[in-house]
Amino acid sequence: MQEDRFPGHKFLPYLLIAPSIAVIIVFLIGPFVQSIRESLFVSTPFGTKTIYVGLRNYVRLFSSPDYRSSVIATFKFSAFVIIGGLSISLAIAQLLNQKIKGVGFYQVALIWTYAISPTVAGVIWASMFAPATGLIPYIVSKLSGGYTLNWMTNGNIALFVVATAATWKMLGYNIIFFLAGLQNVPDEFLEAAQMDGAGSWKAFWRITFPMLSPTTSFLLFVNMLYAFFQVFGLIDIMTRGGPGNATELLVYKLYRDGFIHLNTGFASAQSLVIFLVISVVAIIQLRIVTQKAIYSR
Amino acid sequence: MKLRKNFLIILILTLCLLLSVGTALAKPVTITFWHAMSGSRLGVLESIIESFNAAHPDLEVKPLFTGSYAETLTKYVTAYPTGTAPNIVQVYEVGTQTMIDSDAIIPVYKIPEMLGETWDWAQYVIPITHYYSVDGNLWSMPFNSSTAMLYYNKDIFKAAGLDPNKPPTTWKEMEEYGEKILASGVVDHVYSGGWPDWIFEQTLAYNDHLYADNDNGRTGLAKKVVFNDDFGYMVFDTWVRLHKKGIYIYGGVEYEANSAFNAGQIAMLIQSTSSLAGIIKASKFKVGTSFLPRFEGYPVGNSVIGGGSLWITKGQSDEELRGVWEFLKYLSREDIAIKWHKGTGYFPASSGALKTLLDEGWFSADQTYLTAFLQILAGRRDTAASTGVRLGPFVAMRDLFRAALEKAIAGELSPKDALDKAAEKMNALLKDYAELYGK
Repeated sequence: MQEDRFPGHKFLPYLLIAPSIAVIIVFLIGPFVQSIRESLFVSTPFGTKTIYVGLRNYVRLFSSPDYRSSVIATFKFSAFVIIGGLSISLAIAQLLNQKIKGVGFYQVALIWTYAISPTVAGVIWASMFAPATGLIPYIVSKLSGGYTLNWMTNGNIALFVVATAATWKMLGYNIIFFLAGLQNVPDEFLEAAQMDGAGSWKAFWRITFPMLSPTTSFLLFVNMLYAFFQVFGLIDIMTRGGPGNATELLVYKLYRDGFIHLNTGFASAQSLVIFLVISVVAIIQLRIVTQKAIYSR
Repeated sequence: MKLRKNFLIILILTLCLLLSVGTALAKPVTITFWHAMSGSRLGVLESIIESFNAAHPDLEVKPLFTGSYAETLTKYVTAYPTGTAPNIVQVYEVGTQTMIDSDAIIPVYKIPEMLGETWDWAQYVIPITHYYSVDGNLWSMPFNSSTAMLYYNKDIFKAAGLDPNKPPTTWKEMEEYGEKILASGVVDHVYSGGWPDWIFEQTLAYNDHLYADNDNGRTGLAKKVVFNDDFGYMVFDTWVRLHKKGIYIYGGVEYEANSAFNAGQIAMLIQSTSSLAGIIKASKFKVGTSFLPRFEGYPVGNSVIGGGSLWITKGQSDEELRGVWEFLKYLSREDIAIKWHKGTGYFPASSGALKTLLDEGWFSADQTYLTAFLQILAGRRDTAASTGVRLGPFVAMRDLFRAALEKAIAGELSPKDALDKAAEKMNALLKDYAELYGK
């Protein structure tokens, strides 16, 4: 038997958590159940007619080559943003964690990209790469003797540019957390390692990196969510999923099918698939990473 | 107990009083109007609405910017079932069939009759009203109408040794001029454009070629697209070939290519007429405008109307509907239509406004403003092909077309394969639409 924590007030605890439960039901569970339901139907935009189609939306989804290429693009993109982004930020954080003159300036300069809105970041990167007027295509053309770098017609370049922009946008956030993590690594450990004859490279991998693992696992998770969901604004501003659907990531495809093409059934099916994928990845990640993370000093 | 009862009565009385004061203050009939006009257009629209409100003390039009065209339509779609839809909503031309099938609107041609008035619909520029008509009746109020045309940089033409008063008239000439301009080395690429999906529709219509069956979806719901034939392949092939030669440079979805044109980095631009005012303002060279290039040896059609129109939500009170109608009439007043045209570059929809503009010398002061009119008025208007397409899942279909063009240009697919695959996917969408709306 559990101890009675609110003696004499049997219902008080339930009353106290009721507002939170209500919010969760109204804003999370309700819509979730509704989108499961809607994924079994097709309907007119104004809801004047609704036809039950069973699992047809799902069958179409999985047999659609466009959806498959969207899945592949999403995984490529996420891998780039997560792996590339985290390694670069860790390297930068390590550099920023040194006792050099004006380190405060560098820290601010490297961190504030996070404060830029996706719209502004998107516009900056899009104009940098604009095929006819941008700086980068101009430099490439001058260096290579006339090669036209046009990310509006080259899907691979477009995906690369968008992924780079997304990584850059997230750098500041990652650096802050890595920096905080690095500052928590006690100097004595590193000094002791040095005494034992470990080089700085070895000391980093044997001491600093394992001690950072709580930070790393947290950032892995946040970056995964970022790469899956929050890059929407950047894509919408920069490529709108083009060229030739090359940058149509899952969340963007869902948006276009649901909110622009007004095909709610199909979009609901997609949202459920994304939900399942994210849940599975998140569970695996939390299991593995939290088990291996070293939380105590 | 008694005290409490008294208190309650007083409370109720006070509330009643407050409410009656509220209704007395809110006497002007409020007309809500959702639109998608941003940038410089927003200012012009707001000043027109302000002047309307000032002239009509019993009416108040409340405009609300609801995002892009697509977002505005989405908001309207979600608002309508909950009864929070505005009285008037601006919808882009691709959403026309969606609105016709929505069962949420009153066709504008019925409104004067409902209010016991008569209205001469022939006072509007015919190709514009044609576009928004079903069986000869106007369903939405033309508001911001545009079409596509050719912009060119006269200075670059001169520098490349071409006659600045002889822009290309056919696609063959586009290619020849392009080669000459490239050879002269003045620019790295010759032309670009916006709205590639729309320009493809324009190109078909301009050569009087159907896009979809059932008369471009105008006599019944379209069942399949018909553009993937020899003519369509030729258009697509031409564009891809010009791109390979470096004459054409793909310019993105909407207005991204305008900056390249304004900066003098390309010699020509195929773009909406609504960009005219902006281009003239932003460019430092002499801007020329002309008709869209044609394919020689094919029938003459017309360029298609784009932009947006105003739709009226059904189920309004008579008072509100009267207010809406007053506002619509106000918008088509000559001076207001002229103000709208000069401020934005959109067509003034009434022929009266057109005459006044002509009389006051507006077109001779800057001939570029006349091009679009001559283009739509000179073209034919008695075929469905030249009037433009009306499709249910039009937005999704345009996305498919664009993806196909991008894939063909990138060399991922041959032009023919790309077009055929897009057509196949579009037909599936049309089939789904017919399944939902089939009668």
